[in-house]
Amino acid sequence: MAKVVLDKPGEAKEPARIGVYVCHCGGNISDYVDVAKVAETVAKEDGSVVVSKHLMFDCSDVAQQEMIDDIQKLKLNRLVTAACSPKLHEATFRAAAKRAGLNQYLTYHANIREQSSWPHSDDPHGATEKATSHVRSGIAYVKSAQPLDVLRSESTQSVMVVGGGVTGLRAALDLARMNVRVYLVEKAPYLGGHVAELASTYPLGEKGIAIVQRLVSEIQEQPNITVFTNAELVSFKGYVGKFSVTVRMNPRYVVDRSPRFAEAIEACPVQVPEEFDHGLTVRKAIYWPRGPTVPHLPLIDLGLCTRCGACERLLGKAVRFDQPPENLELQVGSVIVSTGFEDYTPALGEYGYGEIPDVVTLPEFERMLEFGDGSGLRHNGHAVGSIAYLYCVGSRQKPGEATTPGSPAHAYCSRFCCNATIHNALDVSGRYPDVRLYHFYRDIRTYGRNELLYEKAGRAGSIFVRYTEDHPPVVSQRDGTAHVTVQASILQNEAVDFPVDLVVLVTGMVSRENRSLNEMLSLPIGPDGFYREVHQKLRPVETNTAGLLIAGTAQAPKDIRETLYSGSAAAAKAATFALKKELELEPFVAFVDPARCSASGKCVAECPYGAIELREQGDFGKKAWVNSAVCKGCGACVAVCPTEAIQRAGFSNDQIRDMIRALGVAEEGA
Amino acid sequence: MVEAVTVAPKTAEHYDVLVVGAGIAGMEASLTLGDMGMKVLLVEKSPTIGGRLLLLSKVFPTLDCASCISGTKTSGTSHHPNVTMMTYSEVSEIRRNDKDGSFSLRYVEKPRYIDTALCTGCGECEKACPIILPKETEYGLRGRKAIYIPFDTAVPKKAVLDLDNCIFCGACERVCPADSIDFLQAPREHEAEVGAVILATGFEPFPIEKKESYHYGQFPNVVTSLQMDRLTGPTRPFNSILRPSDGKEPSNIAYALCAGSRDKTVGNLRCSQVCCMYSMKQAQLILGTLPAADVTLYYMDIRAYGKGFEEFYQQTKAMGVKFVRGRVAQVEEEKNGDLTVYHEDTEGPGGKGKSTHDLLVLSVGLLPMRGIEKVFKNATLELDEMGWVKLRDETRSPSETSIDGVFSAGTASGPKDVPDSIAEAASAAAQAVGYVLSWREKTGAAVGIPLPKSMPVPMPQAVEVAAK
Repeated sequence: MAKVVLDKPGEAKEPARIGVYVCHCGGNISDYVDVAKVAETVAKEDGSVVVSKHLMFDCSDVAQQEMIDDIQKLKLNRLVTAACSPKLHEATFRAAAKRAGLNQYLTYHANIREQSSWPHSDDPHGATEKATSHVRSGIAYVKSAQPLDVLRSESTQSVMVVGGGVTGLRAALDLARMNVRVYLVEKAPYLGGHVAELASTYPLGEKGIAIVQRLVSEIQEQPNITVFTNAELVSFKGYVGKFSVTVRMNPRYVVDRSPRFAEAIEACPVQVPEEFDHGLTVRKAIYWPRGPTVPHLPLIDLGLCTRCGACERLLGKAVRFDQPPENLELQVGSVIVSTGFEDYTPALGEYGYGEIPDVVTLPEFERMLEFGDGSGLRHNGHAVGSIAYLYCVGSRQKPGEATTPGSPAHAYCSRFCCNATIHNALDVSGRYPDVRLYHFYRDIRTYGRNELLYEKAGRAGSIFVRYTEDHPPVVSQRDGTAHVTVQASILQNEAVDFPVDLVVLVTGMVSRENRSLNEMLSLPIGPDGFYREVHQKLRPVETNTAGLLIAGTAQAPKDIRETLYSGSAAAAKAATFALKKELELEPFVAFVDPARCSASGKCVAECPYGAIELREQGDFGKKAWVNSAVCKGCGACVAVCPTEAIQRAGFSNDQIRDMIRALGVAEEGA
Repeated sequence: MVEAVTVAPKTAEHYDVLVVGAGIAGMEASLTLGDMGMKVLLVEKSPTIGGRLLLLSKVFPTLDCASCISGTKTSGTSHHPNVTMMTYSEVSEIRRNDKDGSFSLRYVEKPRYIDTALCTGCGECEKACPIILPKETEYGLRGRKAIYIPFDTAVPKKAVLDLDNCIFCGACERVCPADSIDFLQAPREHEAEVGAVILATGFEPFPIEKKESYHYGQFPNVVTSLQMDRLTGPTRPFNSILRPSDGKEPSNIAYALCAGSRDKTVGNLRCSQVCCMYSMKQAQLILGTLPAADVTLYYMDIRAYGKGFEEFYQQTKAMGVKFVRGRVAQVEEEKNGDLTVYHEDTEGPGGKGKSTHDLLVLSVGLLPMRGIEKVFKNATLELDEMGWVKLRDETRSPSETSIDGVFSAGTASGPKDVPDSIAEAASAAAQAVGYVLSWREKTGAAVGIPLPKSMPVPMPQAVEVAAK
């Protein structure tokens, strides 16, 4: 169990011997902040500063070695670094202190880049002053800092993967191969997500469902993976190494196997458009999911079912209309969220969508290709001899361009769509060589070797017409025929009209509306609506909650190969937790001085994590007690305590007061 | 060069995974493996780790300084208890053992002519050495000596002696306070057994001399984007951006994108995937240093496809960088060193244009780093038609190469930006661990590091996986 070790107040402390290291950050700081002056000033005014230096890169190995040498030779017992954001390098300098034999929490990392040099690049003098006061407050902090021990927590050697698209399948497979137990939870009744729908994927031309089946068949061989489809998360608590997650398995109302499923589905009188085929086919109220499903049973869509009893008469006890949802509480060490994306749905009338029958989206067109009967490409009762692809629909939008009321514009590029569209065009050219293909685009982004597809499409007869963002194409209908009018940039924006049989809107990826999951897991969301990682390069699959990882297109648009990499990368990170018996947690939790505690209970009520309770504590009687494993160190309790009995390790009230004083701010009531 | 001398074989070294190349991908893979408890041998052929990223200025799209990103990784790699780092070393031979899926390898530690245990990296030898050569890590913008420390933030910070250019004057030996110079050092060959291999061998910049109409190497004010990255970097050679011919601060800078990419005439049809973004990044940095400068990008398509990239493009446009759609065809030099650029202008009248700039930056593409395929002695590492490592099964397990147990990370398999390289490196690490463990279970071989055994947990209800 977690344990906090703290010096007792009043315990004799050796006098502080502080080393200060101000970073140039290769000009990021030193171009605006006079780093030499900062180092000099704090050394002059404070006798406990033994050494004060300014270095090109504090974080470089050479500089770290210099700090270590100083700590050892000059007997430093406190370290202050003044550089970038602590998010970037606080851990680096703690590790260096540790290597030098100093308690890693007797350090302070002052942020003089994001808080001084960058925001005040127009005022070097002011930036220098501000940086100096930040360093002063860091010195004040370390003077009263006490050595802390990391908390240790047992690690549950299992991982939950939320989302059973190809990303989640890959992550589950990699973890299982590393002998880690995996629970894979998918909300839909089948595995494979969007990839399962794709008629032909770039660059190899495989069917999406084949890609899914191959991954699923490998998963079947792994005894370490338990798959839940038609299931979702209903509660989530705990911390890295020890999350407790409740999964609700939603009822299918079909509980057993039967040889008569086909007949029962046939007998069902309810017919609705099949979502999987974007409404191009129909399904019944009792139906087979279109991808691999667990358990391998059809399900009944109770919202549509008329309870006519037709299926029940054929299936007997295999149908159970009163099947309840079942909750399962699972213990996992970490969680990978790979919940994927949504296709952008154009607003009614956006490029004629929903109003002109010959306007479809790319995902819809993908399904149309699946249902070709070999007699040629047909749509809406007529043969298709020409197609116009309109790129960047719902992507690269200008501010205010969003067509869905209330939603922000999608400023980002969806990454996969140029490649997918050109592959689609090649697919069409292969199947129907006589179909004329026009591409109306802004930039063709066939990055890397996808460029070869672009080259090939041009040779296969695709015609590419560029427009600029200020002159978007217009789709209209005249005499029953769809027309695309485009101001071609190559003709100095002269309008050219293309009558075509089919308009394919190349829609991008948008983030999923997953409010309850996002709130339950406190998932960070970026300005583009996708999940945001801590740092794109340093911590690309992590969130600010340790052990809560993100992967795949839930994080940003990606293609299949890229999302598989992302799934494996998240698996690798999860494995670094799962392959350890014990995890180290930061010791910044609340602690109580029972002698001062008045047992007001205010902290108990305030704690958002339920980490505090009033508990019998020997001679002190019933006083506040903190479960340090559950405490996140937010400090909410500290603020409400009437007697300052509860404080946060690593940021005691006195320490904070000292820091504020050092900043030169007049104290309230002082 | 001195021939490899076999040192009497010590006990062969044992590791879980060999990682070849210590650029960002190799470091990331090693750190990930090390954090999982795997023992890693990291072999890097140059004298320092960090690769190409460490030499960049800032990195798109967030403009973090490259040193701030790779500094953590170089430092973490060199101190990781599970990572054995061998710099200035080259893998010479890898054989796959079909019996247990492991690999036997040899690698050669090249002589630095420095006893690294003694060298403190003080740099006195550099000062004493009389020989001046172009510095590789600055793409020739600065000089180095025949004995040198590659750069200030080098890991390890140890000198290396370039014997081919040494005149044996002995100056360095006389001044070295640690007495670390050893002219008699010989190459040392090591043998090792590993469970899996990750190739993170990186890329080479396109040799743009091949595109003759751009006159790189002939017109001094035609520079490459790699040189420009150094000129804009925090550890830049001059305290400003200066053009080579006369040291003047340029005020009208042009970028020719797709230099050596998307170009049949130079044998590379592919897009190099990173040049649009790094060119825009440099344009932003130039405007930081020279706010009054005009910067023009000649481009075909702006490929701002990654997370935050399109937003970065819009920001670059808003900063006043001029984008001209059309490829640069021909460059001519004026008497004053300025360059006249003949280019397409697909959106302008007549479809073409001619402009004069005082500096032209060629946004060079990426080519594979060749050679690694030759070290596999009893298996074939397949490459694609350009020489990038071929991925065997990219829609199922995209880190696998044609050899079982050999995985690819970073730009070894194609051009890639930093975030993608990092993701791919972690992916390769995951796959390598899975591979090593599956073989150990098959052969019953002792597991070097305690790892959990398979542990199926009984489920409260029968849950089965079944495909339709």
